Amino acid sequence: MRAQLTTLAAASAATILLAACGSGEEGGGSAASGERAGEGTGDSCTIEAPVPIGAVLSLTGAAASYGESQQKGLELAAEELAEKEGVTYELTIEDDQTDPRQGITLFDEFVTSDVSLIIGPTLSNAAVQADPIAQEAGVPVLGISNTAAGVTEIGDYIHRNSLTESAVIPQTIAKATEEYGLEKVVVMYSNDDAFTESGFEAFSGALEDEGVEVAEEITFSKADTDFRALLTQAKESQPDALVVSALIEAAIPLVTQARELGIDVPIIGGNGFNNPRLMADAGDAAEGVVVGAAWNSSSDNPENQAFLEAFEAKYDAQPDQFAAQAYTGLKLVDEAVRSGCSADREAIKEALGGLENVPTVLGEFSIDENRDAVHPAVVQVVQDGKFTVLE
Amino acid sequence: MLLEYATPLTFVALGAIFAYSFYAVLIAGQLSLGQAGFASVAAFSAAALAPGREEVGEVPALLIAVAIGMTVGALAAVVLGLPTMHLRGVFLAIATLGFAEAVRVVLLNSEWTGGAQGLAVPRILTLGMAWTALAVVAYWFWRMGRSRYGRALEAIREDELAARSMGIDVGRHRLAAFVTAGAVAGLYGVLFAYYVRLIAPNDFDFAAAVEGLVTAVVGGSTMFLGPLLGSGFQTMVPEIQRAVGVEAGWIRPFLASLLLLVVILFLPGGLASLLPRRTRMPASSGKDDEDGDGRSHLATRRHPGAGETVAALTALGKEYGGVHAVRNIDLEVRAGEVVGLIGPNGAGKTTLVNMISGLVPPSSGGATVLGVTIGRTPVHKVASAGVSRTFQHSKLFNRLSALENVLVGGHLVSRPTFLRRLLWLPSARRDEQAALEQAARCLRRVGLADSAGIRASALSYGDQRRLEIARALASDPSLLILDEPAAGMNHVEAAKLSTLIRSLAADGLTILFIEHNVGMVLETCTRVVVLNFGEVIASGTPEEIAADPAVIEAYLGTEDDEPVTGSIAEGTLADPTGGDPDDVAPDAVINVHPGAAGTLDPPDTTPRNAT
Repeated sequence: MRAQLTTLAAASAATILLAACGSGEEGGGSAASGERAGEGTGDSCTIEAPVPIGAVLSLTGAAASYGESQQKGLELAAEELAEKEGVTYELTIEDDQTDPRQGITLFDEFVTSDVSLIIGPTLSNAAVQADPIAQEAGVPVLGISNTAAGVTEIGDYIHRNSLTESAVIPQTIAKATEEYGLEKVVVMYSNDDAFTESGFEAFSGALEDEGVEVAEEITFSKADTDFRALLTQAKESQPDALVVSALIEAAIPLVTQARELGIDVPIIGGNGFNNPRLMADAGDAAEGVVVGAAWNSSSDNPENQAFLEAFEAKYDAQPDQFAAQAYTGLKLVDEAVRSGCSADREAIKEALGGLENVPTVLGEFSIDENRDAVHPAVVQVVQDGKFTVLE
Repeated sequence: MLLEYATPLTFVALGAIFAYSFYAVLIAGQLSLGQAGFASVAAFSAAALAPGREEVGEVPALLIAVAIGMTVGALAAVVLGLPTMHLRGVFLAIATLGFAEAVRVVLLNSEWTGGAQGLAVPRILTLGMAWTALAVVAYWFWRMGRSRYGRALEAIREDELAARSMGIDVGRHRLAAFVTAGAVAGLYGVLFAYYVRLIAPNDFDFAAAVEGLVTAVVGGSTMFLGPLLGSGFQTMVPEIQRAVGVEAGWIRPFLASLLLLVVILFLPGGLASLLPRRTRMPASSGKDDEDGDGRSHLATRRHPGAGETVAALTALGKEYGGVHAVRNIDLEVRAGEVVGLIGPNGAGKTTLVNMISGLVPPSSGGATVLGVTIGRTPVHKVASAGVSRTFQHSKLFNRLSALENVLVGGHLVSRPTFLRRLLWLPSARRDEQAALEQAARCLRRVGLADSAGIRASALSYGDQRRLEIARALASDPSLLILDEPAAGMNHVEAAKLSTLIRSLAADGLTILFIEHNVGMVLETCTRVVVLNFGEVIASGTPEEIAADPAVIEAYLGTEDDEPVTGSIAEGTLADPTGGDPDDVAPDAVINVHPGAAGTLDPPDTTPRNAT
């Protein structure tokens, strides 16, 4: 045991030494230079110097599938913006490898390299870790996929254009309850993912508000692919619907296997289900899946139609919500820059906070006083292999 | 500017601390993946229990959190270590990995950890604090390196069985290394939490554990600077790729992995193998006599007086699945004797000395060696009673220098120096110096003084045998057991060895040795015991044995055989059983085949039933 005591002794010695060396070293980046102010407003705005924008996305690692969609959305938007006169953007997309250390490092680098604004990061957890760096340095941030509560509470420089789960899900549950007369449901969710877990919490609250009984709560891992045993268990409760908070990777086998087992009741999914892969991979099994979403993919507003067309032309694939929100994000940044005709960090911050009723892919878009997104959410149901608005 | 790189440099320090938690066990040859679990449980406990910075101030809050984290990490290591310490290699890796995964799942499903969404933690850690912590951890391992404790861990890594025979309590040392790993991993977990602001159980998953292990191995797991180099490498590769302008995406992890592969392939010892490693040999003080002043710093052992019983065997037997390797041996060895143990291959000689040195428990009968009852006493206890041995197949600590090998041999007679080395106490220096002088004396005694700095594995075969003797001598034993020390030695070397053994006996050391070179045995020993088929067939003075017909029969066959010219006793006839040592039946303890003794051919070429 002597050596263990030795260990502890040195450990305490280490802590004493640590104390000697504690001093705040948070260095704020230099403020953006004044050259970035231009002349004119809106479409006539002209800014001499290019406007550097940093984007931190998870292009590799666990969240790579979302990051890739976002990258496509951003690049498409950047291409379109490059054709507009007056303001040129220098978009730098960096990969945080779904690793908090990389996310923090990248934010730090963007802050010191004088970007006008940072887009991202992909995951809400990463946002909680990295956004404070931008807040302290006074760099505006636009989250394009952070849905967890509390992200924008980090500070007045942090904005997002992604509706929170708590904005979308109550609407979904209310609509579904009305439509299908839900009385008793089974809730299934993967409890090892921040996104799906917060989705579950939103579902629980909404179900309680609607007075729907939760017969059973079943958890699984985001890496699971075989849900037959869990679904059999769920079936025994004879629910009016399955409420599922899962990522698309789990959603596809879950939906497929539920139908195989003869569960014909509606399956109500969270944001993770809002992906064209659901219909592509689950096929007929996806019929009747109800998805609350921040983006109505079948919306016929002109911005959305143009986006769908341009995206398909460029990538030969259908966009998902992540691409739509990323695309919208950069367009909103352009809107904010042009409205004040300045790419100063402070000016962008002010302009972003004041965005109101901007026509976007996501519909009429505003930023509220908490710097959260306000735009219509939509409740969709899969019919004939397509998302259609549930009415 | 340093501040510009504050973030990556902080992560270099954090990564290095985590890698040190792997280094702490790798140095003792343990492959553990449980450190992610220790770090996780420590980080969450500290974040949940430590007071906020508003209450006590930033730095005290962090210090309290660190204290909680390291304690929790160490406790978790004890809890995991006690049941798993008997596991080795990949089995330990799997068990510890299972632990880390269990921790992750429990934390994910606990209310107080915030589940998958994690727990918010204030950022307190700064670049300076991270590097201070790293400096302390690195200092710890630096001072450990050349202490008695550090050498014992290295010896366990190189050859656990030999380490046991040198009197090292392997179980305790391994557990201590494991607990150190737990505390360091706990430190990492807390510092990480207080830098990244939000911790989630998934931050400490399998991938994190593997990354820590890779960092330690890439840096080098045998040199205390290794983890730091590894972390610098791992953290800076993405930075450099960004700076060079490699486009984000899959190509970066691919390049990083490729670079990792190159390092592992071409630097198997890790990046630290690029650093020169110096070995010291104490300046010869010219005092070769045993009473030099170095002696006073070494523990002294009371040796049994001449004629006292050193080992007493009564009806000792060993059976492997029905095959009697050794049966019914009664033998008494008295202090000052040089007992030679001869007999054909498979006669049970090595099994017998393995029992005497405590490596193999007897299946029948009993024995007392230097007051210790063998069979129930662990090997290191037998060694600390004064038994020291060499092995039939050299079991040296291959990656250690000759001098370090002998220093480990002196484990039992030197004092623990690690704690005092941490504080730079002069007494530690004196003790280390004494141990060094003792080791140097032993090396000189076997004639290896000039090879002190050479790795054991690089020595010639004959030198390796002599090094083993020097290592065995370093513990100042009362009973020295030599298992075929002259195997592979030429005529001249064997003669020198014989002289050495006699001089050791003249110093009052009791020696039991197995040898195939019968001539050498007859001229060196005071008494010879002959074994065949596990039984004593003759015992007596060299002269009696040389004339004993039973011995001649066992070695040469019956008198009906064609006449043999020359005599074994004169050493002019090649011993029929003492061939190339590589051909010798591997009956060293780790290689025991049940029944091996029974399948060996008798040494004579004539069938026994020919008469």
